[in-house]
Amino acid sequence: MEVKTFQGGAHIPHFKSYTEDKPITRLSPPKEVIVPLLQHMGAPCEPLVKEGDKVEIGQKIGDSEETFSAPVHASISGTVKEVGKRTVPTGGEDDCIVIEADDGPQEFEMKQIRDPQNIDLEEYRKCVREGGLTGMGGAALPTHVQVKYNEQVDTLLLNGAECEPFLTCDHRIMVEKAEELVRGAELMMNSIGAKRTLFGIEVNKPDAIEAVNELIKDRDDMEVVSLAVKYPQGFKSHLIKAATGRDVPRGARSAELGCIVRNVGTTVASYEACVYGKPLIERVVTVSGPKVTKPGNYIVRIGSPISHILKECGVEELENHKVVIGGPMTGLAQPHLEVPVVKSSTGVIVLPPDMTREWMEYTDCVRCDKCVEHCPMMLYPNQISIYAEAGLHEKAEEWDLMDCIECGICSYVCPAARPIVHWVQRAKPEIQKLQRSRK
Amino acid sequence: MVSDTQKLIISPSPHLKAKDTVGSAMRDVFIALLPVVAVAIYFYHVYAAFLIGVCLVTAVLTELLFRKLSGKKPTLHDWSALLTGLFVALLFTATTPWWKAAIATFIAVGIAKELMGGLGWNRFNPALFGRVAMILLAPIFAFVDDWFAPLATYMGSVDVATQATPLAMLNAGMEMPPLGQLFAAFPGGALSEVSPLALLIGAAYLFYRKHITWHIPAAMIVTVAVLTLIAGENPLYHLFTGGMMIGAFFMATDWVTSPFTDRGKLLFGACIGILVVIFRVGLSPTEGVAFSILIMNAFVPLIDKAMKRPSFSEPRKQTQAS
Repeated sequence: MEVKTFQGGAHIPHFKSYTEDKPITRLSPPKEVIVPLLQHMGAPCEPLVKEGDKVEIGQKIGDSEETFSAPVHASISGTVKEVGKRTVPTGGEDDCIVIEADDGPQEFEMKQIRDPQNIDLEEYRKCVREGGLTGMGGAALPTHVQVKYNEQVDTLLLNGAECEPFLTCDHRIMVEKAEELVRGAELMMNSIGAKRTLFGIEVNKPDAIEAVNELIKDRDDMEVVSLAVKYPQGFKSHLIKAATGRDVPRGARSAELGCIVRNVGTTVASYEACVYGKPLIERVVTVSGPKVTKPGNYIVRIGSPISHILKECGVEELENHKVVIGGPMTGLAQPHLEVPVVKSSTGVIVLPPDMTREWMEYTDCVRCDKCVEHCPMMLYPNQISIYAEAGLHEKAEEWDLMDCIECGICSYVCPAARPIVHWVQRAKPEIQKLQRSRK
Repeated sequence: MVSDTQKLIISPSPHLKAKDTVGSAMRDVFIALLPVVAVAIYFYHVYAAFLIGVCLVTAVLTELLFRKLSGKKPTLHDWSALLTGLFVALLFTATTPWWKAAIATFIAVGIAKELMGGLGWNRFNPALFGRVAMILLAPIFAFVDDWFAPLATYMGSVDVATQATPLAMLNAGMEMPPLGQLFAAFPGGALSEVSPLALLIGAAYLFYRKHITWHIPAAMIVTVAVLTLIAGENPLYHLFTGGMMIGAFFMATDWVTSPFTDRGKLLFGACIGILVVIFRVGLSPTEGVAFSILIMNAFVPLIDKAMKRPSFSEPRKQTQAS
């Protein structure tokens, strides 16, 4: 079997054994959901409901006129308790719609409303837009925006790499929902006119590779690409490079490279949106960590507060722990537990104090070059960190800081524990300002 | 039930950490030097042990002093002061007056490291800087020898290693001891020169722990071997004498003072190799390796800049898809 990959990167202990064999199960709906009006990259939604309104599960409660946006839906039936600021998982406070459950139906009724054989690009786009589909692997781009290009797209690349430690939600989706996945891929491939579909899967998920292979073995337009187990294999640029061999120059959209990349969860969800009219009101979330009593892959309502999820999974002791939404390499540590899970939340990971270092303990760079050795972007995180820490943004820009994908490998390997990604994130807007002032 | 009062830790991503720290890496280098320390003590007994002890103590005191003066927190836990102290001791012969080694250590830790901004900011290898400073400053310190003369006699006679060092023998064209013996363990020269084998065992540990890569030692050794072969000499003698082994595996590979890319490391190692041969064949061979490494240390920023690799996002020339 040929195993493909990219240059650089690192093998990170993947801690997937907690949940990789745990079948997807439903978590009971919470008493209250907090649905942020902005869960994607782009313009926020305007609320379509107000305090006191009755809403039904699946009802659209927020939308926007902007192209670069995706609507949000009620993930439970109940009453709108509040439209206001709440802590969101991307940091800080933002507008949210808070819904209190009532005794109305709490499950979405799945009935086929469209024939998957007869959906053209226009209809497909409309379905995924109305369904509020966004990238569910982390980047959270509105899905319909990504299918409107006129460029010739020859390849649909399905991202089943799942390179982040702990996360197994995509793995379980590929194993258990392989059929929906392949049908969703077919639907998408046909509607965008691509010639082939590649399933990029890391080889630490042999059962997923097998499940997909079993379904596509008689087709010559679909193929599984086995990928080496290496972080950050699932980042779009590195997936494209590994699976297709195509370079990904800065600023290029993947469609310009003839490639559309879709997360496997998104693909299944868009299939359900098209065929059943089911909006994105729930998703599979990996709840894991060494001290989580009932770790697993759970179908969780969008907007569920993590307090509800952790309680259901038997988490009691949290003093000095870190609770991360997303994977432990790129996810965000949450300040408290009343933060909701959103469309792009892949996991809720509870890290005990001995697994994670407090970040203030860093020292000066000792030029060990481990970050240079492992940087998947071929950058110099050591130089970048020194300049960015000192606020020397022009120098940092010279060393290609803007190309950084913030995968976190540099900070992970850094023996001086330097918070390199943090400085990069802080410097990026400053450098953008500089670049604008030059124009 | 999860209570609201429990304190959660918030910090930027990534939230996982590899185990290595600066301290653990430095400690590993210290451990890697223990085999050669053992051979040195086997040959020179208390002289070697005493010299090493003096340097370790001086290194610690110097760091404490400079950290105190600059108002910074002491960083003894990173092992770098101790390591520099040990390196300095290993660069001297067993019979070196203790105060000379102590001054060299003071210069290494205090000036070459702390005054340059502390670990990470020093441009030159601190131990080599301290060692070479003592050679250049020898005339100034000549009178100090006289002060300590009575103390030196008190320490006992210094007849342990009056024979010529293998490197000096090689340079003088004398008959050399068998290669095998020279490689395994042979007294003469600085403490670190007694056993290439012991140094290689230590270096193997550093490779295993992934603290060094093969690029610098390989480039340096191949260059020296090829050039000495061209000069009509037996390369193995050149590799197994003087500071070649400790230089190639421990000094030139110093994190702080070597280039950061593989290509840069190859160039750096090759240039050191060329300089070593120039020193050994054309100039005075004493401390030729030390001078060569220090000279190339100065070029590291230039090498880093010249060898900068293109970013993953750098547009490449359009290759025609077949």
